[in-house]
Amino acid sequence: MNKPLHPLTMWIWSLILAVGVVVLDNAWVALATVGVAVLFVRARSDGSPWNATFWWSLRFGAFVISVRVLIGILIGIPIPGTVLFTLPILDLPSWMSGIRVGGAVTLERLSSSVHEGIIIATMIALFGAASALTSPHKLLRVLPVFIYEVGVTLVIATSVFPQLTQSVKRIRKAQYMRGMEKVSLRSIALPLLEETLTRSLQLAQSMDSRGYGASRKRSRYRPAPWLARDSWFVFSAVVAASAMVAA
Amino acid sequence: MITFSNVSLIYPHSTKTVLEDLNCEIQEGEMVLVMGHTGSGKSSLLRLINGLVPHHTGGILAGDISVDGLSTRALKPGALAHLVGIVGQNPINGFVTDVVEEEIAFGMEALNFPPDVMRKRVEEVLDLLSLNAVRARAISSLSGGEQQRVAIAAALVMHPKVLVLDEPTSALDPIAAEEVLSVLHRLVHDLSVTVIMAEHRLERVIQFVDRIIYIEGNGETSIGSAEEILSKSELVPPIIRLARALNLSEFGTSVREVRRLTADVRGIAVAEIDGATRVHTPAIEVDSLTVKYGDDFALRGVSTSIGKGEIVALMGRNGAGKSSLLETIVGVLKPSSGAVRVYQQDPAELAGKSRRERIGYVPQEPSDLLYHQSVRQECQEADLLAGLASGTTLSFLDKLVPQISHDAHPHDLSEGQRLALVLSIVLSGNPQLLILDEPTRGLDYQAKSLFTRALKEYASTLNYPVLLATHDVELVAELADRVIFLAEGEIVADGSTLDVLLSSPAFAPQVAKIMSPQPWLTVDHVVSALAEKL
Repeated sequence: MNKPLHPLTMWIWSLILAVGVVVLDNAWVALATVGVAVLFVRARSDGSPWNATFWWSLRFGAFVISVRVLIGILIGIPIPGTVLFTLPILDLPSWMSGIRVGGAVTLERLSSSVHEGIIIATMIALFGAASALTSPHKLLRVLPVFIYEVGVTLVIATSVFPQLTQSVKRIRKAQYMRGMEKVSLRSIALPLLEETLTRSLQLAQSMDSRGYGASRKRSRYRPAPWLARDSWFVFSAVVAASAMVAA
Repeated sequence: MITFSNVSLIYPHSTKTVLEDLNCEIQEGEMVLVMGHTGSGKSSLLRLINGLVPHHTGGILAGDISVDGLSTRALKPGALAHLVGIVGQNPINGFVTDVVEEEIAFGMEALNFPPDVMRKRVEEVLDLLSLNAVRARAISSLSGGEQQRVAIAAALVMHPKVLVLDEPTSALDPIAAEEVLSVLHRLVHDLSVTVIMAEHRLERVIQFVDRIIYIEGNGETSIGSAEEILSKSELVPPIIRLARALNLSEFGTSVREVRRLTADVRGIAVAEIDGATRVHTPAIEVDSLTVKYGDDFALRGVSTSIGKGEIVALMGRNGAGKSSLLETIVGVLKPSSGAVRVYQQDPAELAGKSRRERIGYVPQEPSDLLYHQSVRQECQEADLLAGLASGTTLSFLDKLVPQISHDAHPHDLSEGQRLALVLSIVLSGNPQLLILDEPTRGLDYQAKSLFTRALKEYASTLNYPVLLATHDVELVAELADRVIFLAEGEIVADGSTLDVLLSSPAFAPQVAKIMSPQPWLTVDHVVSALAEKL
């Protein structure tokens, strides 16, 4: 089971399901899709640093839902229905007539906010799953050379970010060992910024001195094969997505 | 192969020229060492060769550099990829892929080599650098020496005519360093590759190089054979200092040569030096300490005790458990079993001010502790934290490195100056114990001797212990009273520096190798032993 898939498989899978979820626009189906993604990520994690991306994307999704709900409660068009509670209405200047802050919060208004939040969070989780299960370095190898600048940026971003958490840990540890009482954002950010910049520059230099992008064509040492497994994977996503679209 | 004609280099916003009117020609199959103080521009010179300077870094370049007839002025680094292989200071920062084999093939893929050629070359280079056993492993799981060899393999697979290396052995233990250097030596001799490298630890490389380019720091450079340059340079390895101290008529760069020249010195019978026996009052006690990460043991049942006023060096391969031991002593790592006592106290209970007063800690990256805008601000903060009169730390720093500018940004300092700054800040709290994790990476000989003196003074005047993890054998010989040698999480040797260093040929310092069987580790030992005699 844990033989690597083609680097593009997970991305295609996520993209197709994302389309299905948006078209169907059903929060329960969206949550089920996230559930499937969770199962996949759990089954296929191989301990590489980018595996954590998925769990971060879930947290970010939760944050998005809460923000959406908060905005839904405070601002928005009143939807008639069961009134849950009423907030005082804020007096706004006359030129902001279209907007209302506060007022009655109905069950319908709340549930539509939650619903929208879940759909957005599902998108984030699906792309989180794709990037968590695909080595960014492998992905780079299947991308065409003409997006050279994108490639360099991608490699730098994806290899520097996992290291970032390790660097933060190291710096915090060093400062704790020094007995610094208040570890402020600034005391971590400065050394971190210096290190990250140095690293990114060194990586870009290394790629450049090794001829990346020097030739328009790029050969493959071990071509990543597209196997039957990959086709089945994509096929299952297509079936699920078309069921969603048809429903 | 490489021609520098009238090359001058200056970086923007800088008043100091890095290079001024450099003229030299490097032949095919030569091995050239670039040396100079930290921050003198060694890396800049190396990166001029494939055009990373100025194409990547900016800077104003006058004159011309040509490699095999191609001028780097007009060509970008990518266009020279087939000709110049470059291995950076921290190879781990330059790796583009995850797996050894793919990393090696990366450059060839980029230049669109046909697959069958790639397969053949990868096999060749895996054999040449004995990497076949790790070909399918993730690069991040390899040791430092292996990573360094992967970086060299990735450069070599392109069959470059020139190989450029920036401090290839600075992060390596003596054995891994020897491995890397012998590979380079073979490349030069068998394949006639031109090798240009920068290195601070001259004692490791000096015997292999044909010529030296010495960057003096004020733009001046001198070029010549190892003997010529070293006879007048102030940065010299112990082997040359020994020759100077003994007034030898000739210089030698290898242990073998100097042994021949000093046969009569070694013959002199000298009374054994009695190690000054100190009353051992333990400051740190480690009792059957075991540390586990998941199922892996980092330390297995380590017991030792470190006395007041002792300077102890912790040595061993990368991953032998040095950092784990230091971290448990500092109290940030919880032991799985066993106990650590620092002055009869559990170090994990320390925090804030009491921690600063008890333990001084200098991390592997000294800059982790620096976050102010200037040296002066850093020192003021240290005074404030330690409750000292304003200016105490700054004046201590001035004593350590007099020429440091108080308004300089900490990140603009050279490595040696930065270490001195962090050391002053840490020592401002008057800690009763000093712990350092690989403090001398990237330091030149002058900075190192300064650092050695500061630590010795701290240990002897205050009678507090110093514990440092390091790969630097010459530093240990100069500094430490005692060496603890770790392997696989166990203590395999624990004894006086003399006994431990002399018992293993790989870890013996240069002077000891020359003077064997006499029990002398440093030039000072030799001089003082002979002075009694004469």
